[in-house]
Amino acid sequence: MWGERTFQAFREAARQALSDGQIQQALRGATGRFREERVHALQDLPDADGLRDRLKAIRAATLARLAEHLTTFERNATAAGARVHWARDGAEAIAIILALAKERQVRTVAKSKSMTAEEINLNPALEAEGIRTVETDLGEWIVQLAQEHPTHIIAPAIHKTREQVAALFSEVAGEPLPPDNIPALTATARRLLRDVFLTADMGITGVNIAVAETGSIVLVTNEGNGRMVTTLPRVHVAIMGVEKVVPTWEEAAVWLQLLARSATGQPLSIYTSILTGPARAEDPDGPEEMHIIILDNGRSRLVGTEYEEVLQCIRCGACLNVCPVYRKVGGQTYGSPYSGPIGAVVTPLLFGLDRYFALPHASTLCGACLEVCPVRIDLPRMLLSLRRDVAERGLLPARDRKLEQGIAWLMRHPRLYRWVMRGVRLLQRPFVREGRLHLPAPLHFAAGRDVPALAPRSFMELWRATEQQHADGSPSM
Amino acid sequence: MTTPRETILQHLHRRLRSVLPARGWDSPRTFPDLTARFAQTLQAVKGEVYQVGSWSQALARVSELLDALAASRVVVNPDPPLDQVAWSKRWPERSWFVVGQTSGSLREFCARADVGISGAMAALAETGSIVVGSGPSHSRMATLLPPVHIALVATTVLVPDLFAWIRTRPHSMPAALTIISGPSKSADIEQTLAVGVHGPRRFIVVLYDDEHASGTGGARDAR
Ligand code: SF4
Repeated sequence: MWGERTFQAFREAARQALSDGQIQQALRGATGRFREERVHALQDLPDADGLRDRLKAIRAATLARLAEHLTTFERNATAAGARVHWARDGAEAIAIILALAKERQVRTVAKSKSMTAEEINLNPALEAEGIRTVETDLGEWIVQLAQEHPTHIIAPAIHKTREQVAALFSEVAGEPLPPDNIPALTATARRLLRDVFLTADMGITGVNIAVAETGSIVLVTNEGNGRMVTTLPRVHVAIMGVEKVVPTWEEAAVWLQLLARSATGQPLSIYTSILTGPARAEDPDGPEEMHIIILDNGRSRLVGTEYEEVLQCIRCGACLNVCPVYRKVGGQTYGSPYSGPIGAVVTPLLFGLDRYFALPHASTLCGACLEVCPVRIDLPRMLLSLRRDVAERGLLPARDRKLEQGIAWLMRHPRLYRWVMRGVRLLQRPFVREGRLHLPAPLHFAAGRDVPALAPRSFMELWRATEQQHADGSPSM
Repeated sequence: MTTPRETILQHLHRRLRSVLPARGWDSPRTFPDLTARFAQTLQAVKGEVYQVGSWSQALARVSELLDALAASRVVVNPDPPLDQVAWSKRWPERSWFVVGQTSGSLREFCARADVGISGAMAALAETGSIVVGSGPSHSRMATLLPPVHIALVATTVLVPDLFAWIRTRPHSMPAALTIISGPSKSADIEQTLAVGVHGPRRFIVVLYDDEHASGTGGARDAR
């Protein structure tokens, strides 16, 4: 189960990640590489910025008429032979999948990476019913073996070292595997998981894009596990959030053109699977049944609100890689399948602000996420709105609330404010080094961080001095 | 009692707003040499590309590749003109499964095959991709389970990019279309590239100039 993130819980998790040298190194390496490759991939396009504007317009227009596009999708997917199910929340989605699995006496499920399945905690629910559930994306499998959670939307196991992976694989393989040989580790995974693909009765996937005009779903993977689990097992179950739909292929192409480029810097993922219904009577292979679960889980109530924009996300992970907070604290710290800037916004919206109120504060509001987002989602704006909600709902700890109320009161009394500031400027002197305040431990109010010192002269003072100069007739510039 | 479907749709219906639909993207992209761009992009991700002048040269190249791979079990998706080749007569020393044949189990053969051979209904120059489809005698497993996938692709099916292909996509979609852009890969262990995780380790495209046929492979009503 995913955790809560109160301020205390967030700080505690962040502290752990910050003091873990391995995690720090892994984060630095991985996010740096993703950032560089994204830039190259977008430079290759003749008009990447125009394309991003178009994707934004497409996502916004689709959300405005979401009910229509979903019903069109449902009609066409059904016509192609798929069965479409609707689930208001995770519990309903799980109940549908369990019923399908039981009716068909499913013993083994092969899963391809799906954030939506993570979101509803599907695996433990299946395991509890005695259904063996195996993640087949290499990174997801590593995380599953370690009994942990994915820590990056695109690279679930970026926090694991090769030594840790070798130890995990050795245990499953029943023979010691050397950590220095990554191709051999990969080959072992290939061998062990091949058996799973061939014996699984049900394949479960997410959905990257659902295309209404043909009732198709699109799945992208690099390893080929997405193809495996939609080819070999008898039954394919796909879970999608309501927001994943586009009206036509024209729009889907824009999405695909930006997805892999923004995520990993590839022109396209290695495999883009376009699935329209189960195998036809004349097909030599493919699943006999295809089920598509359309999941709401808190999304539809965001439509038409100031947070609707968050539903435009295509889950590329680009905002994680540029975020100064994510790059230090990593995915674990967010206590949610969705981490980084997008996670800080979408997690409290989907799973409850009262459980995750620290997340909107886990940002410097630097705007780097907005800069790289292929859909130009204004995450900083929504982070601020959520902070307002946190304050309005009285979720701030009493100490912070008192402090902020005090400051607000002070700011409403300009003369007093000026006097206090002058006083602070005097008092801070012994502690200022290179423009930063180094307070001794008991006085440290910023949770271990150094904060900038007050400037020797306030803006008001500078302003007044400049005006004075003008009045004296001596132009200063 | 309202069903989940009704609840969700009612919710969304209440928030319907009128908008102008956003259009797709008229890709401005063209390449002076589609073949060159295709080869360059695919090779950059460790795909292999051979360019030959004719169909018969393409088959000769396949023969060399099968020798070099010491392939003993080969599965073929007989997209035209691959359906005109008498595979087991021509290479009797190997065992063949031509998809659509009634004898034997496709699944068992594919699970132990060394090479899968297919055509392609389209190829995208920008991304170095080929498109294969499911359909009668078009197996999904044949291009997925064997460790090597050889695709015989006519240069006539090359288009500049995804947007150009979308315009010519099959009117009625087959159950599965796959856009393949390289050999299977992963960077999940310490961001180190590893090739051949679940899908084929080697992805070899033999590009040939086609004198007569148009697109091969995939659904019949492809274009
Ligand atoms: S918010 Fe934007 S950058 Fe972040 S994952 Fe979503 S689409 Fe990508």
